[in-house]
Amino acid sequence: MEVITIDDLVKRRGSRTILSGISFQARPGRVTGLLGPNGAGKSSTLRVLLGLDRATSGTALIGSVPFVKLRNPLATVGAVLDGSGAHRARTGRAHLRWVARSAGLPRARVDEVLEIVGLTNAASKRVGGYSLGMGRRLGLAAALLGDPEILVLDEPVNGLDPDGIRWIRTLLRERAASGRTVLLSSHLMEELAATVDDVVVVNEGTVVADGTLDEVTGSHRTLEDAFFALTTGAP
Amino acid sequence: MTVPPATRTRGREGAQALAAELSKLVSLPATWLTLGGTLVVNLILATAFTTAGLQGSTGTKSAVDIGLASIGYAQAGFVILGVLAACSEYTGGQIRTTLTAMPRRALQLTAKHLALAIVVFPAAASTAASGVVLTAGVLGGTAAPVTSGHVAGALIGVTAYLALTTLISAAVGALVRRTLAAVVVLLGYLFVAGPLLRDHVPAAKYLPDSAGFAMWFPSARFPSAGDAGAVTPAQGALLLVAWTAVLIAAGVLGYRRWDV
Repeated sequence: MEVITIDDLVKRRGSRTILSGISFQARPGRVTGLLGPNGAGKSSTLRVLLGLDRATSGTALIGSVPFVKLRNPLATVGAVLDGSGAHRARTGRAHLRWVARSAGLPRARVDEVLEIVGLTNAASKRVGGYSLGMGRRLGLAAALLGDPEILVLDEPVNGLDPDGIRWIRTLLRERAASGRTVLLSSHLMEELAATVDDVVVVNEGTVVADGTLDEVTGSHRTLEDAFFALTTGAP
Repeated sequence: MTVPPATRTRGREGAQALAAELSKLVSLPATWLTLGGTLVVNLILATAFTTAGLQGSTGTKSAVDIGLASIGYAQAGFVILGVLAACSEYTGGQIRTTLTAMPRRALQLTAKHLALAIVVFPAAASTAASGVVLTAGVLGGTAAPVTSGHVAGALIGVTAYLALTTLISAAVGALVRRTLAAVVVLLGYLFVAGPLLRDHVPAAKYLPDSAGFAMWFPSARFPSAGDAGAVTPAQGALLLVAWTAVLIAAGVLGYRRWDV
């Protein structure tokens, strides 16, 4: 079971500081929510974690190694970033097939994940014809291909209808219940309060709160109230 | 499901990356549209050149020379194919899927070029042969006679030239990362800057386009064939291979460093 450890992550782009020392852990068996307003550094943190962006300093480890050193990335970490992550001219099935090939996974696994995310009937359609929600489901299907120990999701409920939100919430809870690690980011507090165990609140590139949902909510009525108190200084 | 082994060898990882890149290339409709379109345009141009040849003094030129004249234009299709192979990664955020599935970037980009070479070789050979076969069929005995060795040599030269040009285009695409910009840079070089340099700068004979032409287009060789210091077909091939290797290496170096 793998822990995600982010340690003093700094990211500068030109003269702009995007992350100024982010540290936290996401543990197996728990859903960890990385919360913060747009531009707080949530996506940048996840992108550094996944080896897409380089950190100026600091480390982001999966267990004890950086993502780019994983021997079997697809079987270790499933990642869902913004959009579908697929070229619009390919069919959903063709997209999943090349991803499966990169890890030597059998074709049958593609049909399994299509079934899990409910895209079986749209699998032969071009991704360009997918709705926003279908694109997100395709991204999740690719992340689930290797049945990974860890799921990393950037704004997973964006673009999903209420049914979809309920469905992904159940899926993430099930993953955590089976002892896997789930790390997700969101700027929507109430969507998440029902899903996460641990909360890391980031604002302007730094962690302003880190703990269990109850600890971070504290004396506030809701997580949302606590969030605004933490990020804007409102009471 | 079958769980992959916890560790896989570098060789296996490379083979799987190649399989993934091949799968990407053949499942992209633009690959087949570009290759099919190039073949059709090449045949139309070859027909035009052959017709022009029939009206002129065909006796001075062989079916090979006339049939391959269209390649100078048809190479644009191979340039576009190479650029699309590299730049299509940046459509729909696919690059993030690619790099979370294959995080070792040098390995992934090398696998992409290898996959492209596998797809483009037969396509380049078919395109090269199509023009010559068409021209030979139309001209029959009216064209200047050629030996089968000359035909084979020219076809191999053209095929290698088109394949290497495609790989160079993919490397430039990987560096530029935008389809339109990369196509403009490459076609601008091949059709405008390259010919100008060739006419005014002696050292231009070592540039990829001139060196490449020396592989297959005797009349375009610079300086003219037979002149002292002319690039021979073999030297041209070596130069173009070296340019390809250097540009792919530059593509890999840039790709390893930047944020996607």
